[in-house]
Amino acid sequence: MIEGAKWRRWIFFYIPLSAFIFTLLFPFYWMLVTAVRPDSELYRPWSAPNYTPFWTAHPTLDHIRYLLQETLFSTWMLNTLFISIAATLISLFCGLLAGYALSRLKFRFAGMLGTAIFITYLVPQTLLFIPLADIIRNFRLGDSPWALILTYPTFLIPFCTWLLMGYFKAIPRELEECARIDGAARWQAMLYIIFPIAVPGILSAGIFAFTLSWNEFIYALVFLSSPEEKTVSVGVTSELIRGDVFYWGSLMAGALLGSIPVAFVYSFFVEYYVAGLTGAVKG
Amino acid sequence: MARISRRKLLKLSGGGAVVARTGGIASILALKQAPAFAQATTLHWLRWNDFVPASDTVLQKEIVPECEKALGVKLSIEMINGNDIQARTTSAIQSGSGPDIICALNNWPQLYPESVADVSDVADEIGKAQGGFYEESRVVANDGKKWIAVPWCVLGAQLAYRKSWLAEIGYEAPKFAQTWEEYREAGKKLKAKGRPFGQAVSHSFGDPPTYAYPYLWSWGGKEVEADGKTVVLNSKATVDSVNFAVGFWKDAYDEGGLAWDDSSNNRAFLAGTISSTLNGASIYLEAKRKPDVYLTENGTPLWQDILHAPLPKGADGQFGYHLPMSNMLMKYVKDPKPGKEFLRWITSKPVYQAWFDSQQGYSVGATTIWEKDKLWDKDPVMLPFRTAARAGRFPGYAGPADRHAAEVLSKYIIVDMTAKAIQGMPAQDAAKWAHEEVTRIHA
Amino acid sequence: MAASDIATSDTYKSAVRRWPITRLLEDERWLAFVLLLPTMVLLGLFIAYPFVKGVELSVTDAKVGVPGRFVGMQNFAALLDDSIFRVAVWNTIVYTAVTTVFKLALGLWLALLLNRNFKGKAFTRAFILLPFIIPTVLSTFAWKWMFDPTFSVINWTLFRLGLISTRINWLGDPSLALISVIIVNIWRGVPFYAISLLAGLQTINPELQDAAAIDGARPWQRFWYVTWPLLLPVTMVVVLFSVIQTFADFQLVYVLTGGGPANATQLFATYAYQVGVGTGLLSQGAAISLAMFPVLLVVVIVQLLYIRRVETL
Repeated sequence: MIEGAKWRRWIFFYIPLSAFIFTLLFPFYWMLVTAVRPDSELYRPWSAPNYTPFWTAHPTLDHIRYLLQETLFSTWMLNTLFISIAATLISLFCGLLAGYALSRLKFRFAGMLGTAIFITYLVPQTLLFIPLADIIRNFRLGDSPWALILTYPTFLIPFCTWLLMGYFKAIPRELEECARIDGAARWQAMLYIIFPIAVPGILSAGIFAFTLSWNEFIYALVFLSSPEEKTVSVGVTSELIRGDVFYWGSLMAGALLGSIPVAFVYSFFVEYYVAGLTGAVKG
Repeated sequence: MARISRRKLLKLSGGGAVVARTGGIASILALKQAPAFAQATTLHWLRWNDFVPASDTVLQKEIVPECEKALGVKLSIEMINGNDIQARTTSAIQSGSGPDIICALNNWPQLYPESVADVSDVADEIGKAQGGFYEESRVVANDGKKWIAVPWCVLGAQLAYRKSWLAEIGYEAPKFAQTWEEYREAGKKLKAKGRPFGQAVSHSFGDPPTYAYPYLWSWGGKEVEADGKTVVLNSKATVDSVNFAVGFWKDAYDEGGLAWDDSSNNRAFLAGTISSTLNGASIYLEAKRKPDVYLTENGTPLWQDILHAPLPKGADGQFGYHLPMSNMLMKYVKDPKPGKEFLRWITSKPVYQAWFDSQQGYSVGATTIWEKDKLWDKDPVMLPFRTAARAGRFPGYAGPADRHAAEVLSKYIIVDMTAKAIQGMPAQDAAKWAHEEVTRIHA
Repeated sequence: MAASDIATSDTYKSAVRRWPITRLLEDERWLAFVLLLPTMVLLGLFIAYPFVKGVELSVTDAKVGVPGRFVGMQNFAALLDDSIFRVAVWNTIVYTAVTTVFKLALGLWLALLLNRNFKGKAFTRAFILLPFIIPTVLSTFAWKWMFDPTFSVINWTLFRLGLISTRINWLGDPSLALISVIIVNIWRGVPFYAISLLAGLQTINPELQDAAAIDGARPWQRFWYVTWPLLLPVTMVVVLFSVIQTFADFQLVYVLTGGGPANATQLFATYAYQVGVGTGLLSQGAAISLAMFPVLLVVVIVQLLYIRRVETL
């Protein structure tokens, strides 16, 4: 606690914290107000005398209704959910195995491979997507969620691997050796002893991977074309910007609906996430 | 569905006199059954989000079911932001799969001649049946030897202005500023009253080029000579035009225009913050669509205070660049026949009529017969748009409208020339920079 | 039990002898190979191979639909001449440097604040993450609307507070546009820094701080000499990942300004996209993307060396 007078607490704690919270969360409030603001108010310039940015006298559910009924928003949400979960599972699987191998097994190329995996994180997406388009075409994955489910791990795996490596390094070797003395094979020790201990790290990496998949834009923009296949990011930007008219109301409603569920899940797991990073750091 | 022999179908619908007069759909109806394609074919048509939403509704609600009935083709229309069409086309071509038909804007078909199917048969037929294409439409959809796209429409661009505000400073309708100098004076007076002009000078496909190119031409500037190779952009005329533009900008324009996209001027005009802007008819049509939402400062409906006028004259003449659109049939499509049938069908008079009507004059057909349509008698405010497409000039002037011109357009070099000068670069340097960029592209 | 006894223990031997494959997997090298196989396949197929193809693309003159011939370093030479490219490089460097510094400073401050016990702590921590969770494209739209020259709520507020008299052209004025983009990036990144640094802070034994306090150290000194050095490993790693992501940032600028006005906010990624995919000049786009790679590599190597040095302290 901040020692000293109460006023010190206010200056050094409450005010800065409130300022942070306000700045970080105001755009969401803004989105909420815009989502329920009727059209006539939306297009009022800020110099007009009756500009009321922070509230609206006539909230309307029209935009939300439009979003859910006239567009394929719910389909996009389901698509994004499916793609994100699948990509996360694949990345976690690969990252778990790779992280274990690189941090706890001794073999000749360990260092080099670790670095190589890390280097792939640096390769920019804008370089990859034209050649990737060729590969997608050869595998006939074009315009299907699998194009994304298989390409997202390319930037998810390096991060998951690194995070889990940090975790594994912190687990004492004795645990494995004890297990092997007791008769377990190496892979059994890995699966039944080490992995359960690393669950917080796994959750943490999983949450991160999920967020990054949910957030991804370029590949989704380039590889998907049918409206039914689109993800939330691509769908909202391509279908709610109709020429002259940005359907701001529905756009903001989409933005909110597209993120609150994820935030909710996060609120349950944030403790794991924090603990996860802590574990990685200790190592 | 009974199978009809190909020969019979071709006899009835192939480029004969019957079709020329009655159009594809009539001949198909005459068969009293849908032509049989082996299975139910699907066609994916990629278009931009129309600035007239009613037309998109017509396409989805009327044309799609009609198409299934008439051609046996399941049509799926995807509508995206116009600025994204090029990117989608590139990725579709590279990945070898994507939409069957893409509605390209401006001279973009010239960027993809190797990747589109030859549609000369369809285009020639439509042209003959409908009085010929406008030069502008032809030039962007034809590579000199064959048709690489079927022209679809032309979006007329005019200055939309507030009648009452212009009247206050001396321009009682139908009088309007005739030269750039006059227009600038008017703008100065209006900006002083807090009613500047508005123009997007940014990387958006619609408003910026339709202003920048005719502006340049009216001063006598041009990209290349008629041989298509000699770049002559950096000339006294060009530098003069840029110089004028900078002063003009500060005197008369809403300076936010550097960040505007194609919809910003619409919003600004409808909100009453600008007095005049170059645009398609979408501002007027939107105001007319919602007369209680868009009001003047006196509470009267805004649409009654809007008029249209062409861009002013410069030393070298008066020009306009009106945005052409054409449909490309992609080469990666396995069987081009349904696509061609579709293009023939949808550009035919009876089918196109429905779409044309919904546009309310926002676009003109790519062929000349649409000038005679009854629609133009309905609203005199829309009359300037009727003959818009006869303007005749297109990017790449004075050379052909080829790939190089399309690259120059896609890179927004002409637009940026002015933008840079407005941001402080001396006009000579801006013109020199633009000249070098164009030369590099033509190399 | 001695280590040598492990290998000779009967139960162990019998377990291993059961299937030949398990014997194989006992060998560290083979196990590693099997474990790394899925990763290698995925990364090989979807990164290594396209990378090579991308490099190939950059040394041809391919355009969309046209395969192109080998032209050597022509694309790269042209880039050196290209004024827009130079602007993009400069912008990217400024963008990354400025945002990182601010994100670190503000993130650290927020982490220190969040490290205390207060009511609603868990709740706050969860909601603080919102800017980071929401798809960038969508939150950027909200900002775009907030910055809009005609409808901006920020302008309205500043106007009402008497701080400005005419409106601020956030996205239309070239210098302001870059600042606007930086602001949005900082807004999005601070939560990530904050939560990560918070995690790091929580590993620091509070007794260390108490001991320093007893010795008479003031709060600022306690932070600088006790907390900060212990936080450095986490910080460096977070900064490393953040720099990599910011350097290659695309979505934010794409939505907010599209690279404008007149290339004032053009970054490596947006320029590569505009040239390669927008105009269809695939080889030039690939060259621009590739040009990003060595710069990034240098930045990363420097940071990695620093991390290694810090870790051995």
